[in-house]
Amino acid sequence: MAVLPSDPIAAGQLGALIPPPMARRRRASWVRSLDVYIPGGFLLLLVLACFVWPVVYPVPQPVGGSILDASLGIGAPGHLLGTDTVGNDILARLLYGGRVSFEVAAATQVVGGVVGTMIGIVSTYLGGIAEAVVMRLLDVLLAIPAFILALTLLEGLGQGELNIIWALSIFFIPAFARLARAATLSLKEQTFVVAAHLTGTKRWRSIMRHIVPNVAPGLLTFALLNAGVAIIIEATLSFFGYGIPPPGPSWGNMIADGQQVMSTQPRLILVPSILLLVTVIALNTLGDGLRARWGVQ
Amino acid sequence: MAEATMTTTPSAVAGREGSDVLLDVRNVTQEFVLRNHGGVKGGILRAVSDVSFQMRHGETLGVVGETGSGKSTLARSVLQAPPPKAGEVIFRGKDLTKLHRKELLAMRQHVQMVFQDPPASLDPKWKVTQIVEEPLLAFGYGDRAKRRARVAELLELVGLDPRLHGGRKARELSGGQCQRVAIARAIALHPELIVCDEAVSSLDVLVQAQVLNLFERLRAELGLSYLFIAHDLALVKQVSDRVLVLYLGKLCELGPADDMFKAPAHPYTLALLASVPSPDPNAGRPETNRVISGELPSPLNPPSGCRFRTRCPRAEERCAAEEPQLRFVGPGHQVACHFPLVETPVAAPTTNGTGRL
Repeated sequence: MAVLPSDPIAAGQLGALIPPPMARRRRASWVRSLDVYIPGGFLLLLVLACFVWPVVYPVPQPVGGSILDASLGIGAPGHLLGTDTVGNDILARLLYGGRVSFEVAAATQVVGGVVGTMIGIVSTYLGGIAEAVVMRLLDVLLAIPAFILALTLLEGLGQGELNIIWALSIFFIPAFARLARAATLSLKEQTFVVAAHLTGTKRWRSIMRHIVPNVAPGLLTFALLNAGVAIIIEATLSFFGYGIPPPGPSWGNMIADGQQVMSTQPRLILVPSILLLVTVIALNTLGDGLRARWGVQ
Repeated sequence: MAEATMTTTPSAVAGREGSDVLLDVRNVTQEFVLRNHGGVKGGILRAVSDVSFQMRHGETLGVVGETGSGKSTLARSVLQAPPPKAGEVIFRGKDLTKLHRKELLAMRQHVQMVFQDPPASLDPKWKVTQIVEEPLLAFGYGDRAKRRARVAELLELVGLDPRLHGGRKARELSGGQCQRVAIARAIALHPELIVCDEAVSSLDVLVQAQVLNLFERLRAELGLSYLFIAHDLALVKQVSDRVLVLYLGKLCELGPADDMFKAPAHPYTLALLASVPSPDPNAGRPETNRVISGELPSPLNPPSGCRFRTRCPRAEERCAAEEPQLRFVGPGHQVACHFPLVETPVAAPTTNGTGRL
């Protein structure tokens, strides 16, 4: 190179051409984090809206609207998004319906995740007959189509949010168990787990302190992806009349009701559908983003 | 190193059974069943076959052999992780292979292991203090404050600063520091035997020397015994009182380190020694007829008779037909070869007639 680093002009030109690597790296990492911040922030806003907004800022009741207020348009006084065919406020129904969706998503992932993960980890870590029996039982559960399983369970249990949660939790158990099993199989052979065993750590303690913390990030991102699935299944069940009993609000119910007047009032079906779609996309994006960030396969 | 063997080590003072034998490994065989897709039996891999040796209190026994010779499997068999398929491992007067799970767990405080890949042997989610505290917790050592103090003491013993390094995780430490943490964990419960499975192989030479010095210092201070596995012969020579040579899971030669390095009896030992590069520029190239060629045969289908015969420059017909038995060629120096390089048969073994030390 003819340009000496001590030459101020040349150095200045070089500096203009090539941004300092530090600054570039900082901006890049900030940009890279957007795949977590954007869906995360959106979901946070949505959850706050569903659970906090109706408490701090009064919205009309989601049920028992007057037929005199039926089919009001967007921006009608007192009804920001208008009303549906029986006079219920759409915004209120969206928010209260969102509560159901998020409650179902969170509860099924917590119950299914904890139970499935523990089944997968413990049976795999202990090995032997326990492992074989548990895994074959889970294969049976996995072989039944998810929706049929949920429908059958709800047929027996009856409608209602709590019953949906139980039915979907059972549906998610085998998926978590298999993932936890795969992770445990490789962890079990890791030197630090062998080292813990040889150092005298008891099996239960090893599971809780070594296996679970190292499996957790992968399962958490998996749960986020599953949460979207849970919301969709809940909406589908409600659409078919197996979910939240009408007139109770739920995104699925709203879509089912709106379907009858799809040609005259498309917003009744569009608004909850778009919200459902965006929520599921946000959950998937957040799950993918966290997976990439934590380096989980 | 050898003179410290029987005199003042605390563990030797206890004098169980009136002998100073710490570990007695008898005819240990370890096999693994290989399975093809669908769980079909693909064959039996005999990683260690019929290996016997003894260790005294305060002794360092080096185990050498090529990759795949069964060194690590032997170490794991001694530690019952997994237990060997056949044979006995008598440690502190108890046969570990016959102990129940709880009894075995209780024995683990007396025998600890240090692993080949230091960072991998530490949980990536744990802090150094937690890692060193783990064995103390497992055996209910004192209360929280007492454990903390002991952890700090241990970290200082292995040359780490408890305040500087204690809060770090494995990825924030160098390989050598990780191994120091692993050593601190291993010595936390005052074990009598430490199994070092290639414990310094992955470290660079300078750090290797530091860790070896640490091992030596701990041996002197705590009266430890080491089962020291390595593929680096120069290293083994430096640290071992006695050396055990393995080939394809078979014991080839076992004897005092000095004798063996001066006058190896097994052609395989000689070949291993010849493969050590000499730092002396005037030493010339190693004699080509002493260096063996070729790969280790498959342990799934080992050669008949003597397993080394396919690569042995001295092999004759007898080697294929008859498996050589261990015999003494010097005091405490055994070899399994029909045509040993040292032909000085000893009239009677030093201790008893069973071919044991």
